[in-house]
Amino acid sequence: MGLNRNVSLKTALRYKGQGPFLTYILHRIGGMGMAIFITTHILATFLEGRGWKIGHIVNFVYVSPFFQAFFIFCVLFHAINGMRITILDLFPGLILHHRRAIMIEWILFIVLYGFAVVSIITTAIARLA
Amino acid sequence: MEITIKIFRYNPEKDTRGHYETYVVEGDENDRVLDVLEHVKGKTDGSLAFRRSCAHGVCGSDAMRINGRNHLACKTLVRDVGSNITVEPVLGLKVKKDLIVDMDPFFDNYKKMLPYLINDSPLPEDGKERLQSPEQRARFDESTKCILCAACTTSCPSYWANDQYYGPAAIVAAHRFIFDSRDEGASERLHILSETDGTARCHTAYNCTEACPRDIKITKAIGEVKMAMVTGKLD
Repeated sequence: MGLNRNVSLKTALRYKGQGPFLTYILHRIGGMGMAIFITTHILATFLEGRGWKIGHIVNFVYVSPFFQAFFIFCVLFHAINGMRITILDLFPGLILHHRRAIMIEWILFIVLYGFAVVSIITTAIARLA
Repeated sequence: MEITIKIFRYNPEKDTRGHYETYVVEGDENDRVLDVLEHVKGKTDGSLAFRRSCAHGVCGSDAMRINGRNHLACKTLVRDVGSNITVEPVLGLKVKKDLIVDMDPFFDNYKKMLPYLINDSPLPEDGKERLQSPEQRARFDESTKCILCAACTTSCPSYWANDQYYGPAAIVAAHRFIFDSRDEGASERLHILSETDGTARCHTAYNCTEACPRDIKITKAIGEVKMAMVTGKLD
């Protein structure tokens, strides 16, 4: 007798693991975002090749600045966070400074993502004009 | 001061699922959450069930989620978590009653790490202890502090997803012996940890390190075990 051990996604996300846990969650969201993009991109290209309209619609979504901003977020965060994890895995002694490493990661991410978003917005405005 | 404490309740004889009950008690900001729970149990609702033993952060009985995060109730002061407190059982283990969870799977994983000294070599000539330098002792000093409260394992998202994963506490127990210069069972333990449910399931979320009431750098210990598995070196 007893309650099941299963931990729902909602319960898991409610756990207050603070900064490191947030990067863990965002890393997975980034990975999922990329996997979904690549799958639908291949599918859209295939459908477009067959002359199906759905392929155009999917590609229309991809060129929207909002989607691009989301996709760049996924790629950049996943890459930078992945680099931090790899470095700390290779040099376990540095794990003592993991909070500082996460801070550096965020600074790097915000700077690079800021440039990317500015570039996406200016391109979108130029396209409208 | 008035303390409002919302407690997860589950009675296996009556309930099919858990629910929360809220109690308002008079207390002090320097009270521990354990004191508040004792107050509720002693003066308001004697049916409340939770584990406690030493009440001084040594026995590791009272690990629970306090305001959404794993803590020992006896080491958490009201002033640190505020006067609105939510107390729930730790995640990833079956709830037996209220805040009491089934610790058997946790200890099963612990036992798989062979948490005892393995040394078949004959004793030193004087027949006394196997000597060790302070530096050799310092190598695994951190991991000797573990009190097996399960705060780390039950804060680990990999363990939430899969209870076959040995979990951080078990790996810390293995670390304690792997890096002990007197022990000769390192390769056996590293072999166990190289299995699917071993260190490969650690995705460095750091929840374990953040949750540890003994401030053990658990992720570092796991990293050192991973490195020992890759390089085969224990220095």
